[in-house]
Amino acid sequence: MSRFDAIVIGGGINGLVAAAVLGRRGRSVCLLERSDRLGGMAGAEGAYPRMAHLLYNLGPLVRKDIGLGARDWPFRTVALPTVALNPGGAHVRIDGTEARFVDGRPHPDAAAYRALVTRLGGYGALLRRLAEAPPPGGDAAWTDPAALKQMLRLGGFGRALRQMGKAEMRGFLKVLLSNAYDLILDELPDGPLAGALAADAVRGLAMGPRSPGTVFSLVYRHGHGGTVSLPVGGMAAVVAALAEAARAAGATIRTGTAAARLLCEGDRVIGVETGAGEVLMASRVLSSAAPLATARMAGLDRFDIEASRRMRLIRARGTVAKINLRLSALPRIDGLPDDLLGARLLLAPSAEAVETAFNPAKYRQMSDEPILEALLPGVTDPAQDAGGAVALSIIAQYAPSDLAGGWTDAARDRLLAAVVGRLAAVAPDLPGLVAGAEVLCPDRIEAETGAPGGHWHHAELGLDQLLTIRPANGLGHYAMGLAGLYLCGAATHPGGDVMGLSGRNAALAALGDGP
Amino acid sequence: MSVVTDPKTGLIDGPVHDRLAALSRARGWYGWAGYAAPSVLDTVEFEYFALRNQCALFDISPMHKYRLTGPDATAVLNRLVTRDVTRIRPGRVGYAVWCDEEGMVIDDGTLFRLGAQDWRLCCQEPMLTWLIEAAWGFDAEVRDESDTLAGLALQGPTAFAVLEAAGWDVAALRPFDHAGLGEVMISRTGFTGDLGYEIWMPWADATAVWDRLWAAGGPWGLRAIGYAALNIARIEAGFLTAGVDFQPVHATERLHRGKTPFELGLGRMVDMTKGHFNGRRALAKARPRSLLMRVDVEGFKPAQGALVYHRKRREVGHVTSGVWSPTAKRNIALAHVALPWATRTPPDLWAEIYTLEEGRWDTRMARLTPVEGAFFAPQRARATPPGRT
Repeated sequence: MSRFDAIVIGGGINGLVAAAVLGRRGRSVCLLERSDRLGGMAGAEGAYPRMAHLLYNLGPLVRKDIGLGARDWPFRTVALPTVALNPGGAHVRIDGTEARFVDGRPHPDAAAYRALVTRLGGYGALLRRLAEAPPPGGDAAWTDPAALKQMLRLGGFGRALRQMGKAEMRGFLKVLLSNAYDLILDELPDGPLAGALAADAVRGLAMGPRSPGTVFSLVYRHGHGGTVSLPVGGMAAVVAALAEAARAAGATIRTGTAAARLLCEGDRVIGVETGAGEVLMASRVLSSAAPLATARMAGLDRFDIEASRRMRLIRARGTVAKINLRLSALPRIDGLPDDLLGARLLLAPSAEAVETAFNPAKYRQMSDEPILEALLPGVTDPAQDAGGAVALSIIAQYAPSDLAGGWTDAARDRLLAAVVGRLAAVAPDLPGLVAGAEVLCPDRIEAETGAPGGHWHHAELGLDQLLTIRPANGLGHYAMGLAGLYLCGAATHPGGDVMGLSGRNAALAALGDGP
Repeated sequence: MSVVTDPKTGLIDGPVHDRLAALSRARGWYGWAGYAAPSVLDTVEFEYFALRNQCALFDISPMHKYRLTGPDATAVLNRLVTRDVTRIRPGRVGYAVWCDEEGMVIDDGTLFRLGAQDWRLCCQEPMLTWLIEAAWGFDAEVRDESDTLAGLALQGPTAFAVLEAAGWDVAALRPFDHAGLGEVMISRTGFTGDLGYEIWMPWADATAVWDRLWAAGGPWGLRAIGYAALNIARIEAGFLTAGVDFQPVHATERLHRGKTPFELGLGRMVDMTKGHFNGRRALAKARPRSLLMRVDVEGFKPAQGALVYHRKRREVGHVTSGVWSPTAKRNIALAHVALPWATRTPPDLWAEIYTLEEGRWDTRMARLTPVEGAFFAPQRARATPPGRT
């Protein structure tokens, strides 16, 4: 029997961050990961990306709190341009707020695009104040130092809101809860540029751009300037850096060790029993497993009936399949200069097309014309090409987790055919280059990572599951009711996206210490 | 979550409606969970005195009844209710309350332990969805027996003699025991605070059981009664009625209308040491805001609905049930009184009673004197074997 101050369940991004933060604050920590590999959805065999393949929102705040200093991550990142592919037309290159055609010609909507994205960035900076902090509210008396801090922070949010100016603030509050489709098409004609924004607004979500709340998710994605970067060495380098940070902070990391049961005494958690029957004692347990799975480890009878109902009803319908192709050679994309092959390639020809792709998903069908984010990581970082073959990493949407008839081999083949067929519209030689394919449908993602529904954020980033009610009412402050037990996974505020903030906030909450 | 009667359907007949209708001289019916139930069959006075001096038969079939079975049934119930149900042995019945996550009472009822993992819950409010929710994730089955299991309450000092005459030997049953006797199950339970039994049987058998009791009951003064008479008796016994003395929290729409068990004077029903149960964490932190008090009201005007004042000035509560008790010869009431006024000594509490006397409304302030325990709790209710008169 070993004794720790804290046990972290799950060695994904958030689990590693939580372990590092706790360790840095002088706590002895043991992290348990049931698989043999750390990283969860960001995990990979070698450099080649498996599920997550790019970084959007990994911020300096996490880096500071896990002790990697103010300088930079120990891995190099390369900011990638985005190319909005236009089958049969001119592709658009996007660098931050700038859009132009890939051949260098100016894009007629560049100014409108810049204005819109700048506006989203402004909103994002504002929302980041909320995202980086634990959600507001809670039981503490207002004289409590943490509550006071929280009020100051909320005051800061209010002040920042006011400083936007009346017109801008009004605009912000008007659009925040609305749908991305209207917001985008108010400013831009429909086409690849609008489609790229629409696709970014809904990636990983069971929503189409016309669904309410998608402005929020679009802003969320632009929360850190909207830059997309490729870690050199792949996601494995990111995971290794986080694991190293956790180890440097004194955390014990044990892979291949599943947490089977939470041990409780009275109304508090006192430890974890592993799948092998080993008992690890700790006064705090942080779980990045799904809320319901975590509750079940302790026994549902330790939670109120309302709480278990809410955990059961958390919406987590994954819509994303990850397709990893091995190509015998680099594909040629019509109209795309070779130097842009390494860009983030978006195949979302219009906002309308994104919405149309979503329609079948409402009825538990896969998209006939899926929306794709494709990446040839080896172009930028040759190490990410797998054994002589060219790696093509594709996020395909919509592939609903509750597909009618289930994700059979036939269904996977159909999805693969649809994805390859879609790519063939811009890269006619691509189908002939495919030497191997791995299709990770939401069921596989769930089986491998435990994320409910294989959902990117473990719980839909819907307006009903945000901030104080993320992942559900009564669970918004990382604590689960049972003393000493905390949620630290992406299901909690602020969510996933290889960001680590959920893990960091949960660790701070477990330390009883607001940021 | 109260039962809404479809106006097109109207009230439907209970299992012994034919017998009740034949006896109904007053023709006073009310809706109880969708069934036509008698408020009065003859006169309240006749019925009440039969209940207290002879015995009375009352159809309780409209109550909600749920069966919980399966390997986790006991665990589900222990999660649901505030008391430790493992202390209710098979063959016993226990009173229980259950709360929402905020510690507010959802309903109260009786738990019949039929076997190690076989339970029946009888209560006033519809509870099926809540029970299914409580059992979700557990190996337990919830079955609604509300319209398949009938119940007749036989209450009063000659109740034992009537059963004996009808051929059912329940001499060995202690209060809160139950036993199967042929086709019926008989429990020594009731809502009157007196000697009494409840007879449970399949819906279709209820009329035959009624007839058997009726035939045996003549010499023992058996009368059929309606709710009005029973209501006097239950206030005398100090029992609570859901929707009257507390608002079942699932049926409230306004905030803060719920009450904790402590506020209802049911603190003894809460076992904080048994492990987690629904609302436990909230109850551990809860400070009572008010108390449900038993009070003796000055004068003889029933105080039902009266506002309660401290020193005749500050409004501190209201009377939920008030009635003249013919047996206790006192004007009695149950009242919610805010703290700290509920526990002040001297109490100095007053009910402002509105009276209507031949077209003239008036109010009077009646002093309230707190009473400990039930207003009426006769020895005969507990004697085993019970007396015959």
